[in-house]
Amino acid sequence: MDIVQVKGLTKRFGGIVALDGADFSARLGEVHALLGENGAGKSTFIQILSGALTHDGGDILVDGQDYRPVNPDEALGRGIAAVFQELSLVPDLSVEQNIWFRREPRTWLRTVDVAQMRQQTLELFERYHFPSIATTREVRNLTLAERQIVEVAKGLAKDPRILILDEATSALPASEATWLLSLARQLADEGRLVIFISHRMGEVRAIADRVSVFRNGSTVATHDAAAVSDDQIVTEMIGRQLARLYPERVDTATDRVALQVRDFSSPPMLNGVNFDLREGEVLGVGGLQGHGQREMFQSLFGADKALGSITLWGKPVRFDTPRQALSGSEGIALVPEDRRGQGLLLSKSVRENLALPVIRRFSHFGLLDQRKETELVRETMKSLSIKADTPEQIAGTLSGGNQQKVIFGKMLMTQARVLLLYDPTRGVDVGTKGEIFQLMRQLASEGYAILFYSSDLPELVNVADRVMVLRSGRVARMLEGDDITEEEILRAAVFDSEAA
Amino acid sequence: MDSSSKQLQSPQSMNMQSRLLAHAPFLVACSMLVVIVAIYGSLQTGVFTIDEINLNTAAAMTLMLAATGQTIVLLRGGIDLSIGGMISLGTVIAATRFGEEPANILLWSAIILAIGFGIGALTGLLISVLRLQPFLVTLAGWSILNGIALMILPTDGGKVPEWWIGSGYLEFLGLGTPVWILLALIVFWCWFRATRLCTIIKATGSSEKSAFLSGVSITRINIITYGLSGFFAALASLYLTTQIGGGSPNIGTDYILPSVAAAIIGGVSLFGGRGHLFGTIVGAYILTLIGNLVFVLRVSSYWQPVMSGVILLLAVLASSYAEQKARKRGS
Ligand SMILES: Nc1ncnc2c1ncn2[C@@H]1O[C@H](COP(=O)(O)OP(=O)(O)OP(=O)(O)O)[C@@H](O)[C@H]1O
Ligand SMILES: [Mg+2]
Repeated sequence: MDIVQVKGLTKRFGGIVALDGADFSARLGEVHALLGENGAGKSTFIQILSGALTHDGGDILVDGQDYRPVNPDEALGRGIAAVFQELSLVPDLSVEQNIWFRREPRTWLRTVDVAQMRQQTLELFERYHFPSIATTREVRNLTLAERQIVEVAKGLAKDPRILILDEATSALPASEATWLLSLARQLADEGRLVIFISHRMGEVRAIADRVSVFRNGSTVATHDAAAVSDDQIVTEMIGRQLARLYPERVDTATDRVALQVRDFSSPPMLNGVNFDLREGEVLGVGGLQGHGQREMFQSLFGADKALGSITLWGKPVRFDTPRQALSGSEGIALVPEDRRGQGLLLSKSVRENLALPVIRRFSHFGLLDQRKETELVRETMKSLSIKADTPEQIAGTLSGGNQQKVIFGKMLMTQARVLLLYDPTRGVDVGTKGEIFQLMRQLASEGYAILFYSSDLPELVNVADRVMVLRSGRVARMLEGDDITEEEILRAAVFDSEAA
Repeated sequence: MDSSSKQLQSPQSMNMQSRLLAHAPFLVACSMLVVIVAIYGSLQTGVFTIDEINLNTAAAMTLMLAATGQTIVLLRGGIDLSIGGMISLGTVIAATRFGEEPANILLWSAIILAIGFGIGALTGLLISVLRLQPFLVTLAGWSILNGIALMILPTDGGKVPEWWIGSGYLEFLGLGTPVWILLALIVFWCWFRATRLCTIIKATGSSEKSAFLSGVSITRINIITYGLSGFFAALASLYLTTQIGGGSPNIGTDYILPSVAAAIIGGVSLFGGRGHLFGTIVGAYILTLIGNLVFVLRVSSYWQPVMSGVILLLAVLASSYAEQKARKRGS
C-alpha cells in the first residue's frame, strides 16, 4: 500500500490559490519526482507534508492514518523530513550544530556532547559519501552549494522514512549534483521514499521511478518514468507544446569590445583573468565550482575588491561599489548567486523590487511618475511571465523560480548594457528557461554584451557563443565554435591544457 | 572525476585569523577594560588589591545580573526594557514585605523571583501571540511595573533587616559576596551555553525562520527568554536591596540602557545570535569603572555618560569592522 496518499488538497494564501485539489500518492522504496512550472504549488505541497504549513482542505493519509501535522516536529514523528528549497539553516551556528540542531547528543550534565556530535557527523558523512566540509565552520561562511549539502545532511540525520528534496540539486555544481542523485537512489534502495523536486529533466530521468506533474495547484498525472516521454511531461507541465528550449544561435557579436578585463585578480580565488567580451556576444563561463567564477562576477560588479584593469566600452573604469557599477547605460548589472541575500528585498513588493534600483528614472524634480513606473513594471512582469497576483505581492511569498525572475527583471530595468548572469536559470522551469534564453539572444542582438555562468553544462553548450573555462582562478581555455561541447568543458576544467 | 567531488570546500577550515576575527568584539572589550584599569591604576594607589576587586564587583553586580537577563534576550534577537520596572518593583516588595523573620524573607525572595519569571514569561507570550515588537511591549511593561512599584511605595523607603544587608558584604577566602555571585554566574554560563536551550535561543535570534522550519516553537522560546530576563532582573533587585537597604520605586530605570550597553560593549549582537555573557561581564565592569575614573580624574561627573557613550560607539565600530572583515574572508 502507498505510504502517502493525498486527496483533493487545497491551500490558499489570502486571495492566492496555491493548491487547488492536488492528488498524490507514493510508496516506500521509490524515488518519486514532482514536476511543474514555477508557482505550480510544489513547494507549498511539500511544506504541508513536512509540517511547515497546514492545509485548508483535502485529506492526507500516512500509513493509512489521518495526517495533519502542525509543525515540523510532528511530521518528523511520522518519519517525514524535508530539505527545503529556501534553506532552513541557522547562519550563526556551525555545520555540526545545524545538522543535529535540537537533537544533539547530551552528557549527564544535559550539555551538548560535542565530541559525540562530531563523531556522529563524520559517521553520517562517511556513510553517505558526503563531499567534505569542515564540521566546525559557521554556516554563514559557507557557499550556497555547501549550505545545500549541509541541509541535506540535516535532513538525513533525522533518519526519516520519507525524505523530501525540494530543488536540492539546483544550487549544486555538476559533480555534487551527481552525488546527490546517487544518494537519493541509495536511500530509495534502503527502503525509504524520496520525493524529488527538480526543474532539470535530465536528473529526473536519471533517478525517478515515477513522476507526478503539477499544474496550477493540482495534479495533472502520475506516470511510470520509463513509460513516458520528456515531451509529454513538458506538455503536461506547461499545458502546451514547448517549441524548443534553446534558441537558434545567430552570431550577433560585433568587433567592438564591450568589456575588456586584464590581469584581474583577487588571490587566492582569482589569479589573473584576461578576456574580452564583445558587443552582441554571449560569453559563457564554465569550470568546476570554486575556481573563481563567483569571485569574478562579484568583483566585476564592484561587490568585492580585486586588482587589475577593466575597460568598459573603451573607457577604463573602477567600481568600488555596486552602485557605481549600476550607474547608467555605461554600467554593469548582475544577477547574483544568492537571491535571498543579495538579489531581493524579500519583505518588499514585486513592484518595489523592480523599480527601486532605478527610481530616479521615474522621478521628475523629486516627484514620482507613478503611471510610468507601473507601466514599466507590468511590462517587465509580463515579458518574464512573473507569476504574481499583483505587482504588490510581497516578493518573499513568490515561488522560488518566480523570485529568480524578479531578479532578472530588476537587472533589465537598470539599462546597463553589460550583463553578468550568474546561474540565471537556477530553479526556473523549462518553459521560462526557454524564454530567458530567447531573451538573452534578443538582448545580444540589440547590442548587449552578456557574461553567462551556468552550473548546467548543456545550457552553456547551447546558448553561449564562446565558453571560457576557469581553473584555479585563471582562464584555462577559451572554447569556440565546434569545440564547445560538454566533454571539452569538463576536460578543460579538470586537466591541464595548452593555455595553462 | 572522483577528485572533483572534493573540490567543493573553500580554503580549509577556520584558521587563526578568522578565529580571532570571530572574537574581535569581545577582545576589543577586554582591551578597553585593560586600558581603563591601567589608567585607573596609574592615578590611584591600591587598585590591584582584593579589596578593590570586591568593591568594584559590588558596584557592578546589580548591572551584571540585570545584563545577564538582557544578554539572553539579545541573543534571541529581542530586547527587554521592562527590567527597569521589575527591578524597582522587586526592591519595593522586599522593602515592604521582608520584615525580620528569615523564613519570611526567604519566602518573599522566592515570590519576587517567581514574579520576575512570571511577568517575563507573560511578556514573551504577549510578544508571540500578538506579534508585537518586543521594544514596544517591554517599554509598556516597564511603565506598568514602575507604576505598580510607585503604588506600593511612593517614595524611597521601607527597610530590610541588617543581617540581610550584611549578607551582601560577607567574605569567604578573602572574596566578598559579589565576587562569589560573579563566579556563580560564570559557572552558570559555562553550563548554560553548552545546553541545547542556549543553542536554540541563539538560533532563533540568528534566523527565526530557519529555527521555525527546524521545529522550534517560537512562542515557547519567547516565554523562556523573557522569563529568564525577568528572573535575573528580580535577582538584581534582591541584590540591590542589600546595597540601598530598602526600596526605591524608580531606581530600576537607571539599569535599562546600561544593561543593553554592557552587553553590546561586550560584543553581544543587537541583532541576535552572537555573543556571550563573559563579554557582558566585561562590559559591565567597563561601565562601572568609568564612574571611578571620572571620580579620580576629578572632572565633572557629567563626563561619565559621555565616556560611556564613546566606549559604546567604539565597541559598535569594532564589531562592525570585524563583521565586514569576516564576511569578506568567509564568502
Ligand atoms: N506565503 C505566501 N503568501 C502568498 N502567496 C504564496 C505564499 N507562498 C506561496 N505563495 C504562492 O503560491 C503559489 C505556489 O507557490 P510554490 O512555492 O508552491 O510554487 P513551486 O511549484 O514550488 O514553484 P517553483 O518551481 O518556482 O519553486 C505561488 O503563486 C506563490 O506565489
Ligand atoms: Mg518551489
